[in-house]
Amino acid sequence: MMVDIEIEIDGKVVHGYPGESLISIADRQGIDIPRFCYHKKLSVAANCRMCLVDIEGNPTPQPACSTLSSAGMKVHTNNEKAKTAQKAVMEFLLINHPLDCPICDQGGECELQDVAMEYGSDISRFTEGKRIVDDKGIGALIQTDMTRCIHCTRCVRFGAEVAGIVEMGATGRGEDLKIEPFLSEGIQSELSGNMIDVCPVGALTSKPFRYEVRSWQMNSIQTIARHDLVGSNIFTQTHKNKVKRVVARDNESINETWISDRDRFSYQGLNSENRVLIPKIKVKGEWKDASWSDALDFATNGIKKNAKEGSQFGTLASKNATLEELFLLQKFTRGLGSDNLDYRLDTSNPFNAKVLESNISLTELETIDHALIVNSYLRLEQPMINHRIRKATLNGASVSTINAKAFNFNYRISQSVLTSPQNTVATLSGVLKALLDKSSQTLPGYLNSVTIDQTHIDIANALSNAKHPVVVLGEHVNGNKCSDQVAQLVANIAKASEAKTLNASLTGNAHSAERVNFKPDNGKNALQILSSDLTAFILFDIYPNFDCIESKNAIEHLSRDDAFVVVMNSFDDESVLSFANVILPIASFYETSGTHINVDNIAQSYSASVKSAGESKPGWKVIKVLADLLNLEGFDFTDSSQIADEALSLSPSFSEIEVPISNSEMPNVATVWQYTPYASDVVVRHASSLQQTRIGQMSEASVCKATAKLLKLSEGDLYNGIPVNINESVAEGCVFVHTHLPRQLGVI
Amino acid sequence: MISDQAKKEIDIWVAKYPEGRQSSAVMQALTIVQKENGGSLTNELKQAVADYLEMPTISVEEVATFYENYNHKPVGKHVIRFCHNISCMLNGSDELISYLEEKLDVKTGEISKDRLVSVKRVECLGACVGAPMCQIGDQYYENLTKKRIDEILDGLK
Ligand code: SF4
Ligand code: FES
Ligand code: FES
Repeated sequence: MMVDIEIEIDGKVVHGYPGESLISIADRQGIDIPRFCYHKKLSVAANCRMCLVDIEGNPTPQPACSTLSSAGMKVHTNNEKAKTAQKAVMEFLLINHPLDCPICDQGGECELQDVAMEYGSDISRFTEGKRIVDDKGIGALIQTDMTRCIHCTRCVRFGAEVAGIVEMGATGRGEDLKIEPFLSEGIQSELSGNMIDVCPVGALTSKPFRYEVRSWQMNSIQTIARHDLVGSNIFTQTHKNKVKRVVARDNESINETWISDRDRFSYQGLNSENRVLIPKIKVKGEWKDASWSDALDFATNGIKKNAKEGSQFGTLASKNATLEELFLLQKFTRGLGSDNLDYRLDTSNPFNAKVLESNISLTELETIDHALIVNSYLRLEQPMINHRIRKATLNGASVSTINAKAFNFNYRISQSVLTSPQNTVATLSGVLKALLDKSSQTLPGYLNSVTIDQTHIDIANALSNAKHPVVVLGEHVNGNKCSDQVAQLVANIAKASEAKTLNASLTGNAHSAERVNFKPDNGKNALQILSSDLTAFILFDIYPNFDCIESKNAIEHLSRDDAFVVVMNSFDDESVLSFANVILPIASFYETSGTHINVDNIAQSYSASVKSAGESKPGWKVIKVLADLLNLEGFDFTDSSQIADEALSLSPSFSEIEVPISNSEMPNVATVWQYTPYASDVVVRHASSLQQTRIGQMSEASVCKATAKLLKLSEGDLYNGIPVNINESVAEGCVFVHTHLPRQLGVI
Repeated sequence: MISDQAKKEIDIWVAKYPEGRQSSAVMQALTIVQKENGGSLTNELKQAVADYLEMPTISVEEVATFYENYNHKPVGKHVIRFCHNISCMLNGSDELISYLEEKLDVKTGEISKDRLVSVKRVECLGACVGAPMCQIGDQYYENLTKKRIDEILDGLK
C-alpha cells in the first residue's frame, strides 16, 4: 500500500507518492510545467532544464522532473524566480534553434513552439552564427532535420529503454554534440516511428507525411489499428477525405502510448494506385466495368446457378475483416445452407486455434517471470505483445525459445532450442515429460517412448521454477502439418507448469472470426474448400498469392471452368483477375466502420475515418444487399452497430478439444514460411515506405550447412524464388524463409 | 579485426569490472585497437570493439567521439596534441599553432606530407602551469616558444 504525502504546488495542497517526481504530481493535477526531456514513459535525464521550479528553502530553482517530492514541500511553478529561470533556459535553447517553423512539419504541434510562445522573448540577443547539422538520413520512415534538435535525448532513451535496440546516440561533445545513429543505414526497430511522437521538436518527423499538409488542417479521428492481435488505439488524421497520417492514442491497458511502425505507416497503402474502384464482371473471358446493380445481379445469379445446393458453396474471408463483415458473411453462408467457411487460410492444419486459448492479458504479461516462446519471431509478429514481455524482462523475467531459427529479439534469450517443424512435437514432448517427471506425475502413454535431453530439462526447470510463467505460441506453427499436436502439447505444458498461455498463431481480427464462429462445424475448412468440388465461392479480401498456404493449388482450383467466384476486394490483383467472375470493390481499413476484438477479448468499435475509395462500398453493406437479393432472412440492418450488437451477444466460446499425440509422417526437410511484418496483409503490402525499410526488404531463405548440402543449395541460389543464406542459426532439417515475396513462387 | 594480442590486453581490463559489465572497458579497448591500427580508429574497428564487448556500436561511437584521445582519421607517426584551452590560449597558443602549421605545411587535423607528424588541437591537458603546452606521445612539452618548437620538431624522426 502506498502512503501518500502532501505537498503544496502554487499554493494548492496536492497528494503524491513518496519518491514521485514533482512533475508527475503536477501533471496529475493539471498544473502545467514546461518540459522537453521529461517523458512519462522514459527514464529521467534532466538535461533540458526547462522544468525549473522554485522550491521554498532552496537557494536555486530545481528541475521538477528529477526532484522527488517530500512531505511538506512548497513548490512554485510560476513565481518570479521560477519564471526567470524558465525564460533563461528558453533563451539558451533557442540560441541554436533555426526557428524555421514556417517550413517545419512540426509547426502547430511543436512543444518547443508552444513553450517558446509562452516563455520565449520576442527579441533575440544572440547575434553570433547558429550551429548547422548535416543530416545523415536514417531510413524511409523518419525525416531528420537535426539542426532543429535540442538534444533532449528522448529518442536516444526511447531506443535504449523501449525499442530495446540502441540506434540513436549522442556523439561528439559541446557545440559539436549530435544526435545520430552509428551509420546511416537506416533504423531497424519495428517501433521506430514512436521516436517521431516523442521528439518534442521538428528534428524527427514522419517522412511519408513530409510537406503533405499542415497539422491544423487535418481532422483527427479516434480509431483502431487492425493489423495485429492488439488493436492499438490510434488517431487517423485526414485531409480532403484522405488519411494523411496515423499517430498513437494513449490507452494504458492496450498500447500504452506506443504503436508499431506497421500500424503507423500502413495507411499509405490506402492511397495506392492499385485499388479496385468500380465493380467488374467477366463476360466470355473479358473483364468489363459494371454498375453496382448489374454486378450484384451478376453475382447473385451466378451463385444461384452454380450452387443449386448450399453444400456446393464456400466462403473464405480475410483474418483482417471486421467483426461485422465476418458475422454477416457467416450468416449469409449458413443462410444459403452451407457450412463451408473459413478464415484460416495460411494454416495447413487449422485446429491450433481450437486447442490453445489465450488467457493472459496484455498488462498481466508485464508481470510474468518467465516466458517460453514457441514457433514465433514475436518481435516482428506482434510488436506490442513483445514489448510487454520485454518490460517483464527489464524486471528480471527470463525468456526461452523453441524455434526453427535463432531470432534477433530485443531482450536476452536464456535458452534457445533450435527445432525444425518435424521435431517440434518431439521437443515439446520432451519438455512435457521433463516437467511431469519433476513433479512425479503419471505420464500419458504417448510420452513413454519420448527421450529427454538436457535442453528439455532446462526449459522445464525454467518453467517450473517460475511463479508466473507464460507460454506463447506464434505464427510459424501454421505451416506445420502437426500444428494441432503442437498446440495441444503447448496447452499440456502450460497445464503441467501452471503457466498462462497466449496463442498468437492467428492474428489480425481472428478473435472476431472465432467469436462469430467463422469456421465450419461439420463442413469444409479452407484447405478443403480450395481442393474439393465446390462450384460457387465468395472470397472476401483475399489475395491467394500471399494469403493461401497452398497458393498455387488454390488459384488453379478457383480457375476451374465450373467454378463461379465472387470476389469482394479492396485491391487489384493479377491472379484474382485470372479466376474471379465478378469483383465487387469494398472499403479498406479506415474507410468503414467496424469492430476489432483483441487478444484480451476487448471489442473495440470504430467509425469510418474517410469515405471509401471510388465507388467501393463498406463490406457489410455489400453482403447485406447480396443477402437481400437472395431473399435471405435476418439481414434487416441499417447500421453496422446493430450488426456488432448482434455479433457481440454471442459469447466468446472456447471449446477445448483433446488432440491425440502421435507419430505423424513428416517430410525430411520442412519449410517455415514467414512474411515480413510489412507483407502480412494487403493494406500494408501496398505501403511503399514500409516496404523500403530494412525489415520490409528482408528476403532470405536461411538454411544450415547440412541441410543445404542435402538440398544441393549454395549461398545465393534461389529456393522457391528466395535467395539462400547458409548459416548455422537455423535448425537442421528446415529452411526458414523470411520474405516479402508471395508464396505463389512455389508450393510450400 | 582485433588481433589476438589486442584481445588479450582488452581482457585484462575487462577482468577488472564485475561480470556482465565488460562494456566498462570500452575506453581501454579503443586505446588498444587504435594503437594497433597506427593511431586511428575506423568504423570497422569501432564495430569490432562493440561486438567484442557486446555493446551497441553507437555507444562505442559516443565514447570515441567524446574524448579527444581517439582519432577518426589516419594520423602521422607522431601526433602533436596542442592545447588551445584558456590558459594556453592566453599565453599565445594560437600563434604557436599557426607557426607549427606553417612550418610543417599542415593544417590542424591533417598529416604532414612525409606522414611523420600530424597536429591536433585539444582541450586542457591539466598542465596549465606550463602553458602554452603540447603533448607528443606520452611526453608533455611545456612553456613553449617558437624556438622550443623548432628544437622539438628537429628531434622527431
Ligand atoms: S532528435 Fe528530437 S527527440 Fe532526439 S534528442 Fe533531438 S530533439 Fe530530442
Ligand atoms: S524536463 Fe526537467 S530537465 Fe528537462
Ligand atoms: S589550458 Fe592548456 S593545459 Fe590547461
